[in-house]
Amino acid sequence: MKVLQVIDQAFRTTTEEQDDTILWLTQSMRGAGGDLMVLLSGHGVYYAVARQRQPALAVAGWQQSQPANVPRDIANLVESGVPVYAVQDDLEERGLAHLALQNGVQPVSRRAIADLYEQADQIWQW
Amino acid sequence: MSHYLFIQSQDPFTETRAARQYELVGDLYDAGHDVTLLLVQNGVTPARQAARSPVFDRLLEWGVPVIADGFSLRQREMQESDLKDAVEIGDVSLAIDALLDGHKVIWN
Amino acid sequence: MSDNTLLTFAFMDPPFESERTVTFFRLLDAALEKNASVRVFAYEGAVALAFARQQQHGNAVHGRDTGEEDHPLTREWIAALQQKAEQKGLSFEWINCGLCVDERGVNEVIDGCGRGGPPDLWRYASEALNTLTIGTR
Repeated sequence: MKVLQVIDQAFRTTTEEQDDTILWLTQSMRGAGGDLMVLLSGHGVYYAVARQRQPALAVAGWQQSQPANVPRDIANLVESGVPVYAVQDDLEERGLAHLALQNGVQPVSRRAIADLYEQADQIWQW
Repeated sequence: MSHYLFIQSQDPFTETRAARQYELVGDLYDAGHDVTLLLVQNGVTPARQAARSPVFDRLLEWGVPVIADGFSLRQREMQESDLKDAVEIGDVSLAIDALLDGHKVIWN
Repeated sequence: MSDNTLLTFAFMDPPFESERTVTFFRLLDAALEKNASVRVFAYEGAVALAFARQQQHGNAVHGRDTGEEDHPLTREWIAALQQKAEQKGLSFEWINCGLCVDERGVNEVIDGCGRGGPPDLWRYASEALNTLTIGTR
């Protein structure tokens, strides 16, 4: 069974698991043998061009020591054999098209999303 | 040909992503797949006759089957006579039928 | 090997903040009505759905005491679904993401709800005929 994980939101929460929770979930399921693909769409395309860890949060003297590391998560997924796609039109719409995609992230046009949906047995929209 | 059921909870008035979701529904329909849109929650709001949403209306013009969840309609005091012509009334159990038939069921 | 009467649901919303929670429970009920067995993986805020300490309260705005107000509680909806499944000879399983539980301190859950992690979601999905994920926003 091949599942397409559609990540349409970014920065919704990066404090739970000190990670994007769906990138975290996807890595964990991959470790359990999951046959997965990832489609970054909407604001999710920000993750395709991320270069740095998230800024450490500080609240009233409390200081976060382990902020989320999205570039590492994307790299881990790619290295583990999970194809990662980013919607080119969404990158362009957000003024991100001039930035280099992370290694291994493949651009896909909006019109080609239907083809990705056809490659998967199930589509999990998060 | 694949079978798709999109459970559409997002609406075009508050969620700009809804337009993109409708486009994908249209793309899959154009590609010859069996595609149905099940409107739930505020997703039913563009189905009202006078509601202005060209991206939603385009799906109806193309002939994409659109079904509105009766409970969501009743919450908004929408009757069958309030709906655009091509919109039918159904129930979330349609999603269960689709899941049990092995269709690709996607929550928007 | 998938079970052709088994459906898996992944859900992320807490008890009362979203209309999605109501639709989710309607879907679970509809699944049992169609004689499907159900497995739920509760992630993020959804782990509070089964929290055993949920309590009803009165409502002064409505002028009703606790009994009259009869406030809905998601733990009671889960219990009702468990009971319905049992009456129909179906299975109804519920796993909470354990780390999400710990972070929220909602460790006390009603009977029949367990704890696990993302590999359980993959196992649930692999063994089921089909899976629906309902993301939060």
